[in-house]
Amino acid sequence: MLARVTLCVLFLACVLGALRFNPFRDRSLLGMHPSDGPRVRLMTWNIGYAGIEGDNRAHDSDLAVVAGAILRTDPDAVALQELASPDQLQVLLGYLYHRYSGSICQFGAADRIEAVLVKDQSARFEDIRAGDKYSLASTFKIGTDQSAKHQVVLVSAHADAFNSARRRLFTSDVIEWAQDRPETDVVFIAGDFNFELNPEKQSNLFTDNAKNDSESYSYILKYFRDLGRDAGWTAINDRRIDYIFGPPEAALLRRAQVLKDAGAPGMDHCPLLVEVAL
Amino acid sequence: MQLTEGSEKTEQSQSLLPAPDAIFCGNNQNMLTQLRIEFYKLRRSKSFHLSFAVLVGFVALMLWGFYTYAEHKTGASARTAVQFRHTYESKTYFNGLTFALYSLIFSFSLLMPVFVAMTAGGQIAGEARAGTLRTMLLRPVSRIQVFLSKFAMVALHTYLLMAFFVGLNLLIGYVLMGYDNLELYPGPLNLVDEPGKIMQGDAVWRFVYATFTGTWALLVVGAVAMFCSVLFDSPAMAIVTTLSIYIMLYIIGRIEFFEDLRPYFFTTDMDFWRDVLKPAPPWHSFLHYGSICGAYIFGLLLAAMTIFDRKDILT
Repeated sequence: MLARVTLCVLFLACVLGALRFNPFRDRSLLGMHPSDGPRVRLMTWNIGYAGIEGDNRAHDSDLAVVAGAILRTDPDAVALQELASPDQLQVLLGYLYHRYSGSICQFGAADRIEAVLVKDQSARFEDIRAGDKYSLASTFKIGTDQSAKHQVVLVSAHADAFNSARRRLFTSDVIEWAQDRPETDVVFIAGDFNFELNPEKQSNLFTDNAKNDSESYSYILKYFRDLGRDAGWTAINDRRIDYIFGPPEAALLRRAQVLKDAGAPGMDHCPLLVEVAL
Repeated sequence: MQLTEGSEKTEQSQSLLPAPDAIFCGNNQNMLTQLRIEFYKLRRSKSFHLSFAVLVGFVALMLWGFYTYAEHKTGASARTAVQFRHTYESKTYFNGLTFALYSLIFSFSLLMPVFVAMTAGGQIAGEARAGTLRTMLLRPVSRIQVFLSKFAMVALHTYLLMAFFVGLNLLIGYVLMGYDNLELYPGPLNLVDEPGKIMQGDAVWRFVYATFTGTWALLVVGAVAMFCSVLFDSPAMAIVTTLSIYIMLYIIGRIEFFEDLRPYFFTTDMDFWRDVLKPAPPWHSFLHYGSICGAYIFGLLLAAMTIFDRKDILT
């Protein structure tokens, strides 16, 4: 009898323990404290489609929806991926009432291109050769003051979706480019890196994808901070593959949010929005 | 002696009953004896020795693989340096602690549960199959004492396996590769979200903690096997059923298609043991999943004990 009672008590204690300790309490937002510095709001969004059949690049018909989401959240700069043509950028800028200036990168070996939209009309744009693709960087100033001292650089990047080794090469090229910027520049790298860091999400366990992506991601975190880390998944199947990396100390994270309902039906990514104080 | 009068019978019976203290002492004595007998049986069983021998073989294979991989990645013929300029796989990364970590994590999910299921599954069903269960229960020990002493041996064997395996890995790692800090990166082992590091002195203690958390997690498999061992009269049936359940849940839990089912599998909860190997252990999560494992262990033991206590032993 004593043994049964003891086991019952232990069983109940364990059930109560499981209810008492909430595993999600460990997750906390990145450290935030007030800052008087200027704020910069950045967005990244892969506006392509899911699926391998048909054209899975951005559709012209969705550009109004994309522009609507941008106007509602009012970011200072936007990194877009998977545009199908330069014309789409012009259409999008029109939908945005030309409040933003923008540019696209070269096609390179890919059939889709990246774009950056910036509120600062005097922004400069520069192509970055990364692996066999191109990324696009925009350098702009925050605020209307001509003497604004913060020069911000936003890179729009899109790494290979199917080959982790290519993602590694791409990542190292982009980071090396960022490392060569002057120290006064505050560099943010945004985009769809397609990193698969959770082995449980992999359908094939017998590849070195996790190892390659682990090294790519770890290499980025040597110099940058993953600002959207606690914002949740950004693409279908609960995958977090869209990132905004920022300087670890020069920027204080104020907000990181994935806008789940911003896209049009069929789009497989959600925009990631972060706000930092410089 | 023939007792004819009621009063005499009562008096005589009362004088034959032991005092309550004597009952308590007698029960304790019985339990200790039972534990000694079970330990003797465990020590003499071939599967006990086999489990340690297989672990030694596994460590040898791990060592071979680890050494050739490290040589391939960091030696003179390293190809990755040309293809990928930035890698964390350096000579300091491949140290004895990293070796022990990989070896432990790879063996824990698919090797250790086999031995635990073998030992636990054969405890009751093995006696039934050998025809010794009835004889054993004729002795002045309760069925509960028999059951608990057998489970105590399962727990002991599980802990010895964990301690032996961790100790062996740390020793071999230290002798052949030396220690450095334990560097952890997101991805392959799924331990951290961002690169982290555990200092070598702390890391050794983390491995010591892992012997306890690993034992606790593996006892869920042990409790399932004990339950099956009570249900079936064949040890093979009990072991195969346990392993089938475990492997089925483990595989299903790995497939993204069944992601929504994953939280309901005990194999998911068992993963809590690795939390002590993280640079900053998530204590709430650790206690939550550790408690769930405890609920599985005690719940299954309670159910198995109840069935065993009422079971008609026919073998």
